[in-house]
Amino acid sequence: MKLRTPREKRILYIKTTFRWILYLIIVLLSFTVMTSGSWKKPILLVPVALCIAINNDIMISAYSGAFCGFLIDIACDRLFGYNAVLLTIFCAAVSLVYELYLRKKFFNYLWISALTAFLQCWLDYKFYYEMWDYENAERIFHNISLKVWLYTVISSVIIYIIFSIINKFLMPKEHLTIEEVIKAN
Amino acid sequence: MREFFKSTRFKILLAFIAFLVGIMIYAVTKGGYSLSGASFINTVTKPFRFVSNKISMELETVLDRLNNSDSYYNENQELKKQISELNEQIADYNDLKAELEEFKKLADIKEEHPDSVFSQPAEVLGYIANDPFKSFTIDKGSDAGIKPYSPVTTSEGIVGIIIEVSKHTATVRTILSPDLSVAAVCSSTNADFGIVEGTVITAENNTTKLTHLDMNHKIKKDDLIITSGSSGLFPKDYSIGTVKRLDVETNGLTAFAEIEPCADLSRLRSVFVITDFAGKKETENETANTP
Repeated sequence: MKLRTPREKRILYIKTTFRWILYLIIVLLSFTVMTSGSWKKPILLVPVALCIAINNDIMISAYSGAFCGFLIDIACDRLFGYNAVLLTIFCAAVSLVYELYLRKKFFNYLWISALTAFLQCWLDYKFYYEMWDYENAERIFHNISLKVWLYTVISSVIIYIIFSIINKFLMPKEHLTIEEVIKAN
Repeated sequence: MREFFKSTRFKILLAFIAFLVGIMIYAVTKGGYSLSGASFINTVTKPFRFVSNKISMELETVLDRLNNSDSYYNENQELKKQISELNEQIADYNDLKAELEEFKKLADIKEEHPDSVFSQPAEVLGYIANDPFKSFTIDKGSDAGIKPYSPVTTSEGIVGIIIEVSKHTATVRTILSPDLSVAAVCSSTNADFGIVEGTVITAENNTTKLTHLDMNHKIKKDDLIITSGSSGLFPKDYSIGTVKRLDVETNGLTAFAEIEPCADLSRLRSVFVITDFAGKKETENETANTP
């Protein structure tokens, strides 16, 4: 049962707005990093979308997944909507799994993030290289897709830390403790 | 879980995914032109990408200097040697120049119509993330008269072709890609024709491949390969690259040459788009989708 005073509601509203502004800044920063330079880069928007998904409602997760997916499509020059569909499904599924089965622990996030990033890289390789029968296409998987996946998993740790800090200060608590209720009244 | 699949929010989620698939299918039918949503995001993020790419390229240059100082030293020595050789050639060149002036007068009569129309110089906004074939985005789009399938070049040589255009940006597929074929000929023999087409392996070394060469070709190492202009996609006589290696294809019927592009495709800063040229083939796409 949620018990909140009007003042707390106002604070909650401000914190939520501020939290989403920070989320948006992180998303845009990740997109900017992905479009800079010519070296191999992690698909930062995958762990970012997952970090949003594990802390939010399924529909919000799906919408934020779609937004991040569209940005990946632009950064990686993929068919507009391809990664949006993938990330919508991944984020909705992750949000649902967290709602029903998993606890918000780092290890759970890490393996889910590794699995999702791998699926994203693997499907990208299948649809954009292997399917078109490029000669020696498997080299792309070994030399690029797997490296990108590894970089993504490593970067997901940093992204998790950033989101943990944001959520620690700005995420509303689901329930107030008895002490908090007594103190508020 | 079962409740979720029966719930309204699951139906809304399915409808949303169907909507996204619709966008994806619609994007396929655009034939080289970005959707307005992608175009809007490209326009909004253009300045950020420009700045971050500048920083990133500078950082890469600094790291490159640190990592490859020995090779740069050797290269420097080699270049000094080449400069002294070139100075000797300049003396010969001046003699030839005077002779050439006479030929030029004759050529001027034939050059009544310039065969290529160039866009303004286009800055490279950034490379496509993790693309093995070094595709990149430039800061000029359809508002600068750029259309899909326009050739892209630098002063050194042909770089690639425009594959997608939005209002203020365009995406370039390079000659390292297996999806781009350029009809080419060896400039020294002017008889050995082939197709320049990238492969996964050559792209790893920033080189491309001249295929379908006759087994009795006369091409030698370091020969310059130029566009033949026979496909109508690229203008004639533009440099593509120099021959690094010659070999026979595994089928034993044709030969191939590994080509090092004249332009350094991994460090491009600015390029030119050739918007029109003599012998240009009007593609179906261009006539149908010109905005």
